[in-house]
Amino acid sequence: MGASAIGDLIDPGMAEVRERNESAWLLTPRGEVDRSLQERMRRYGDKDEVDVVVVGCGAGGATMLQRLARGGWSTVGFDAGPFWDPELDWVSDEAGSHKLYWTEPRVLGGSDPVPLGSNNSGRGVGGSMVHYAGFVPRLHPSDFATLTNDGVGEDWPIDYDDLKQYYEAIEGELPVAGDDWPWGDPHRYRYRPQPVSGNGEVFLRGALAAGIEARVGPVAIANGRFGHRPHCIYRGFCLQGCKVNAKASPLITHVPDALAHGAEIRADTMVTAVELDERTGRAIGVRYLRDGVEHLQRARVVVVAGYSIETPRLLLNSVSRRFPAGLCNDYDLVGRYLMVQGAPQTAGRFDSEVRMFKAPPPEVSSEEFYETDATKPYKRGFSIQTVSPLPITWAEHVAAQGHWGASLRARMSDYVHWSCLGALCEFLPQPENRVTLADETDSHGLRVARFDYSQCDNDRMLVKAAQEVMERILKAAGADDVMTIQRYAHLVGGARMGADETSGVVDGHCRTFAVPNLYIADGSVLPTQGSANPALTIMSIAARAADRMLATDPTGKRK
Amino acid sequence: MTRLPLDDAHGGDRFPGFDVLAQSRRWDAATRAVVEARLAPDTRLRFFSALEAATAGALFDQLLDQHDGVKVPVLELVDDRLARDETDGWRYSTMPKDPDAWRRTLAALDADSIARGGDSFGATGRDAQAAIIQSVQDLGDADWHAMKASQVWSLWTRYACTAFYSHPLAWQEMGFAGPAYPRGYKNLGLDRREAFEVRDHRPTLDPQRDQP
Repeated sequence: MGASAIGDLIDPGMAEVRERNESAWLLTPRGEVDRSLQERMRRYGDKDEVDVVVVGCGAGGATMLQRLARGGWSTVGFDAGPFWDPELDWVSDEAGSHKLYWTEPRVLGGSDPVPLGSNNSGRGVGGSMVHYAGFVPRLHPSDFATLTNDGVGEDWPIDYDDLKQYYEAIEGELPVAGDDWPWGDPHRYRYRPQPVSGNGEVFLRGALAAGIEARVGPVAIANGRFGHRPHCIYRGFCLQGCKVNAKASPLITHVPDALAHGAEIRADTMVTAVELDERTGRAIGVRYLRDGVEHLQRARVVVVAGYSIETPRLLLNSVSRRFPAGLCNDYDLVGRYLMVQGAPQTAGRFDSEVRMFKAPPPEVSSEEFYETDATKPYKRGFSIQTVSPLPITWAEHVAAQGHWGASLRARMSDYVHWSCLGALCEFLPQPENRVTLADETDSHGLRVARFDYSQCDNDRMLVKAAQEVMERILKAAGADDVMTIQRYAHLVGGARMGADETSGVVDGHCRTFAVPNLYIADGSVLPTQGSANPALTIMSIAARAADRMLATDPTGKRK
Repeated sequence: MTRLPLDDAHGGDRFPGFDVLAQSRRWDAATRAVVEARLAPDTRLRFFSALEAATAGALFDQLLDQHDGVKVPVLELVDDRLARDETDGWRYSTMPKDPDAWRRTLAALDADSIARGGDSFGATGRDAQAAIIQSVQDLGDADWHAMKASQVWSLWTRYACTAFYSHPLAWQEMGFAGPAYPRGYKNLGLDRREAFEVRDHRPTLDPQRDQP
């Protein structure tokens, strides 16, 4: 009996996942990305009219590819960045991980401009999940009706129950480790929580002393071996790409299974426009650049999954007579209602050595302040999580206090004594927080994105409240000093789903209102963001949309 | 074992005998190549002109308190980055693109130095350099040479800190062992260390509390 068969006997949950997504067993027995899968990959010609092209191979796009390829569709995925080999391409080093980020030019405006790049923008197969922390909480049921319940934000055209089975499915595939979860829709995780390091210990101790509920997880790192994926080695470089392949990203959780089911992935390939048949009003494929030459890949269905900046940019750059202001932009909604989570980061100083750089940054979290509290002047809330900055990011935190020169060096020498928490504040969707096209062009001659962001009063109140809670936890744990930096986390929105074409770019199944065979399946479709890290929700929305596509067959081929 | 000079009052010698590079044989090949390339970068500059290099070098020395003896080659690392146009993937709409922003802000430092009766920034005295830098930081969100001072400050400190704290000698003075693959960590938790880690010998130094 082989090792994985024994594993199936020990853990029937693993066998159930393998039945529907074999990715973790398609790595080499040593747990490495198997390059022979790419070498043997099916390849289509531009003239082949494939069932679907998917633009972007991150959380949403890779999930789509895997589901549709398994459903028997001919599929081609595009990614502007590389097809990573973690062992060769990634490093256990902060500055050396620069290539994981989207570093093509972008312009920031608004009263509270939001840095992009390393903070929130991925590039390459696996997308931003290659360098996300690995926290994978669900949204709460309340997130789907904030307008009705709280008079802020927007109601979704779907609700929590529509997503629940997909949350469960994706949690199985990543898989997720964590304590039983008491918040939102209470639920459990298949894998027991990870051991915590000094930083997690501080959070748990401080929360207990302050009377605040905290839990370990939920983290997309199996507590143990999963398929051929090795267990975590607690090296703390999750945000630099997991060389171990213990932390989930679509590169290892969905792409291998997609390739094994006939998907082609064209990496290092920039899609420049969605091509429209002006007569029928249907998308006929995508234009893309490879080695500087433009091609047109024909497809019966087009899925855009470029995330909150690149998806609106691609639509806005796809102009035609029918859509002079950009594809699907009849109601001036493309690029709007883009959100970031406010992410103040508060550190506390202990005479003990915390050494927060050990173990994955995602360890402990609390959603006690997630929901609207009627006693507070603000609506909605925030979550608190461990974050564990490595030296360069920590220097940014310390320098933000105004230190430079000798005082910066002195405070940096104190690194091992600091613990660090971060909040995710539910900033509200606003129409003027948006992507437009700047006059500047990139190396391909395409106009780059301009991203304007300004906070509203509710946003500012949340940040202040979150900082106070983090200071309370750290002081209750015994910190003799605290310091905070104002940061931003995840992006979502920019091509949101809505009840109809005047309120959203896509419907509840991610189909665009304007073009019947064009879908958007990434973080840009979220109408609100909650205080949850978005990866799990993005994958679940994509999985649900793929199910509907398989059932309704918008290719028109099988009818 | 090489160490950066840092006096005890400013956090020097907290981890006596801690040697980051002694662990490099336990790093994976890809990481070792990337980190070792930083130890002795090409000294032939490709981006900065000679005058800009003098100004930028003095700016980095000030921001990172590197004046004498062994240094992290911050000027060379930043020059290499700018020559390769490796930006952070964004710029403020109110700032030029990073390469232009660097040239403009360095010229502005020279102009300030001369306006104060000195030489170009790199050739003026250390105290005068420090005063000029402090005056830029003190402007906050106000304008400095038609740029937002806070955004200039962000540009300078981002590039300077990224270069300095990417270097094993900088990790050494903060007790950080650097790359951790495939080795990983075994001893997690408060006051727990690996065999190759060194405890802070002055744990109550707490510069945040005790220093100016």
